[in-house]
Amino acid sequence: MNIRRNFFAALAGLWLVFSWTSATAADLVVWHAYRGAERTAFEKVVGIFNAANPDINVKSLPVPYDAYADKITAAVPRGRGPDVFIFAQDRLGGWVEGGQTVEPIDFFLEDETIEALLPGMMEAMTYRETVYGLPIAYKSPAMIYNKAIIKNPPQTTDELVQVAKEHTAAAGGRYGLVYQYSDFYYHSALLNAFGGRVFDPEGPTPTVDDPKNIQSIDLMMKWFKEDGIVPPDPSSTLVTALFNEGKSPIVFNGPWFISEIEGIDVGVTAMPTVNEAGGAPMKPWLTVEGIYVSAQSGHKEEAYAFATFIATDDESAFIRAVEGRQLPSHAGVYDRPEVSGDPVLAGFREQFNNSIPMPNYAEMTLMWSPVTTAMNKITKGSASSEAGLKAAQAELSASVAALRTGR
Amino acid sequence: MSIVAGNTAYLDRKEEAPRGIRGLLFHPAAFGVLLAVALTISLGHWFVGQAKTEITTDQWNRGVIVELMALADAAGAIETADKKSASEKLTTMLKGLPGTDDGAATYRVLRLSGARLLASTQPNDVDDMAPPRRLSRDEKWLFDLGQSLRASVQTQRDEGIYRRRQIEVEELDGGLVRVSLPYFVGEKVTGIVQSERRRTAVAATGNRLLAAGLVIGAYLLAIGALAAVGRERRDKDVTRHKPWALFAVGLVLLTLSAAVYSRSEMGDLTAAYTSLTGQLAGEFSSVKDRLGYLAGQAGVSLDPTMENRWDVDLFRRPFGVIDGDGNVKGAALADKVSEMTDRLGSALRWNWGVGLIILVFFALGYARRLRRTVQEHRSAYFYVMPAMLGMMVLAFFPFGYGILLSFSGQTVLNVSEPLADLMVGFQNYVSILGDFSLFESTAEGAVINYQNFYWTLFITVCWTMTNVAFGVTVGVLLALTLNTKGLKYTNIYRVLLILPWAIPNYITALIWKGMFHQQFGVINQGIQMFGGEPIAWFDGVFSAFMTGLITNGWLSFPFMMVITLGALQSIPADLYEAATIDGATRWQQFRHVTLPSLKPTLIPAIIISVVWTFNMFNVIYLVSGGSPAGANEILITKSYKIAFEEYRYGYAAAYSVVIFFILMFYGVFQTRMTKATEAANA
Repeated sequence: MNIRRNFFAALAGLWLVFSWTSATAADLVVWHAYRGAERTAFEKVVGIFNAANPDINVKSLPVPYDAYADKITAAVPRGRGPDVFIFAQDRLGGWVEGGQTVEPIDFFLEDETIEALLPGMMEAMTYRETVYGLPIAYKSPAMIYNKAIIKNPPQTTDELVQVAKEHTAAAGGRYGLVYQYSDFYYHSALLNAFGGRVFDPEGPTPTVDDPKNIQSIDLMMKWFKEDGIVPPDPSSTLVTALFNEGKSPIVFNGPWFISEIEGIDVGVTAMPTVNEAGGAPMKPWLTVEGIYVSAQSGHKEEAYAFATFIATDDESAFIRAVEGRQLPSHAGVYDRPEVSGDPVLAGFREQFNNSIPMPNYAEMTLMWSPVTTAMNKITKGSASSEAGLKAAQAELSASVAALRTGR
Repeated sequence: MSIVAGNTAYLDRKEEAPRGIRGLLFHPAAFGVLLAVALTISLGHWFVGQAKTEITTDQWNRGVIVELMALADAAGAIETADKKSASEKLTTMLKGLPGTDDGAATYRVLRLSGARLLASTQPNDVDDMAPPRRLSRDEKWLFDLGQSLRASVQTQRDEGIYRRRQIEVEELDGGLVRVSLPYFVGEKVTGIVQSERRRTAVAATGNRLLAAGLVIGAYLLAIGALAAVGRERRDKDVTRHKPWALFAVGLVLLTLSAAVYSRSEMGDLTAAYTSLTGQLAGEFSSVKDRLGYLAGQAGVSLDPTMENRWDVDLFRRPFGVIDGDGNVKGAALADKVSEMTDRLGSALRWNWGVGLIILVFFALGYARRLRRTVQEHRSAYFYVMPAMLGMMVLAFFPFGYGILLSFSGQTVLNVSEPLADLMVGFQNYVSILGDFSLFESTAEGAVINYQNFYWTLFITVCWTMTNVAFGVTVGVLLALTLNTKGLKYTNIYRVLLILPWAIPNYITALIWKGMFHQQFGVINQGIQMFGGEPIAWFDGVFSAFMTGLITNGWLSFPFMMVITLGALQSIPADLYEAATIDGATRWQQFRHVTLPSLKPTLIPAIIISVVWTFNMFNVIYLVSGGSPAGANEILITKSYKIAFEEYRYGYAAAYSVVIFFILMFYGVFQTRMTKATEAANA
């Protein structure tokens, strides 16, 4: 009995492998890393597409997030990957430089497609002036506040400091503002407000020790040391704890934070403008989720048609927003009352106007380790903002040079 | 030593050696010379053939590139002058190019903006497909090619290094070759020009006669030498008594034939290169005249006083061998020739090395020994064959590939290029092992450079020693406790104590990481409960080191305990009885009975445990992650970071090879030590 069962299992496995490698006319496989509601909504959207396009059959395959990027890097160039995959823009540069992974889509791209999307999104999908993917959703931190405590969210940093000071009592563990300021990702909002940059826009030359970057860190340190409105050692758990216990009324955090909130009536709005930076708004880095056509796909046109559908179809964007709690890149969806009336979605959409896509250079992954070290040194007081960033700049320049010359 | 000799005794037994002519012909030394010379020369022959084919095809390609570069200049000038009439003018121009009338060559000009085909002489591009038009969906590849060339030009400008080709030469089916390169309006890549034409297959080879003559000559000379030596000592097998003399003769023959061959072929190659360059200079002049005329017809002029910017390599860097008037520059040509011959020369020297290895193998008797071993133990080799094959594929191939990679400069940016083009020699090793900048001077005074290899090595050694010492001490103590006579519920204790080992170690590592959390971790909560100050575990070098040590100690003591417990139970009770009768104290019993009996079991366990701990990736990576600032990285996690966070594959491979050699050195050293102690005990 057992042998027979194993035999059938093996047969079924073989059939699966076989049917996967020898997909007929237009069987597309799409990889994504969605879970929970996002996954359900996405699968529903795929179902709608399949129903509307009887000659194309899209199968969606969820892949665990931890192994996802490496799986794409390893499988796609060898023709073992999906036809379409979804990923944030941060790995795009590496995949393009490595080659054979992502299909350039400029040629297919039509103006109507770009017009259907929120402005500025395509920048994230563009590498060396070639477009490789369509944006489908975005994430960025915004200002999240406790409505019971904050009636009018602060518009400027001066107001922010003032409001925060009112709600700060360090002895009782109360802080007016809490966010992971020592994490460079969260710091990007202040950095961009001052016009700082980590890479030269003309090409991936590191500019970590730019004077504007230093200014932005000095302001952060002023909040921490002089004003005392933020707690020391801000970890993600501390942020959650302080906000949920009502000890901190304002946080800067992303949509992922919403599911961690318990029993607080929250409002979401754009981060304040920075008086010290001449009134420029805080602009967090935007993570754009793109849908890419695999360079190895046998059905690139169908794959592109599917990608366009996901990115630009009204109804499916609506489903992803309302049911999947995603922030679609689709512009029209934010006009619908269910979305514009949703405080969370509308709040993050407002922040979108003040945001900058995170650079997608291959060299970006090299940046994190040096800047994290610098931020730790600076917040621990073991280095000045200038010395810390100078050291990070030196380390990053060295590793970028080593990456390019290969030694 | 005697065991080894016993195993190989059969190798030295008398064997009826074949005599006479046949004996000479198949004599291992002569055969070795034949094989070594044949291999060296035939490999060399192949290399020379490759080199000859390469220079011929290269010069052919360069001819096409010269023409296309001129066309690109013209296209750029035409586009600059007037965009509207560009298509018409270019179409006329293409018609005047050589090869279009008889279809020997076809051309395309593509403008990237709007994906417009401006002009084409492709047979399909007529009637409703006639340019100017937007590319059809099937022609996406053409547009993508243009985009990728544009990106290459831009990458080079951004980075200032040449790593992506700006001219694409593709070999299509049926000997068709497609060359594409960008054209510019001002500094901007505006489009591409492309040409397809058939290249007659070049099958250049080296001098066959010379090669064959050298091989046969060397063989005959070797036989002659053998016969001469053999005549003197007819009664004895020469190789067995004079292997070195024969080897020396073989070496001279090998070296001589290789030298003669390489000298002659280098001369040939130089002559060929020079004549091809002369040909190219002629082509350049004719392109200059023809295109100059056509451009004039189209109302633009190609810079007549130019330096030769058209004869370029695939990165669009001028070769500088032919000047703007179509004359060959002697000195520059000599440089190019010597560059080429140097490259070939080094390949030939490697061949000689390979030949030498073969010669050693045969002439010094290793081949004979190998043959006899295989014959003697035929069935044994047959049985291990499947395992050997499996090991080949699963262990030795990746290992060999890793070593090869360690000599290359492969990174994520050049991973699609062939490995042979990325070789950097020992540079990775030099920059790992030769970097002694252990201290950096900063504004805050000298600080340790945590990225330095020797710091990481120091941490790894500390990490291994402390962990193994901890594991062994705790393991042995617990085993001794559990081994107490009359202890109740031993089994329950044993199960409980083995549990840390039974749980997957990454789960344990993540749990410990949580326990070390500065605010919410149970350890700091405990410290605070007793009135202490919470410790920022991951901020200090020492405290972060301790997190790893504690976690790994927790994971490693059960193994040592189980091993020790087993060994303890196999110590015969009479030893203790005898010791008691002799009046030994408990300590003396432990010191002189228990410990020596544990030694044979514990030492292999310690060796294994050292290797495990040395490469204990999970604990370091998951608990401290090398914090602060990479100070607590061990070699293996560091190598992972270089490979998968900095994307420097070649450098990371070199790092891994260094780790391998450290462990191998340790293994050999440890085995020697163990053998020595065993010998002393025996």
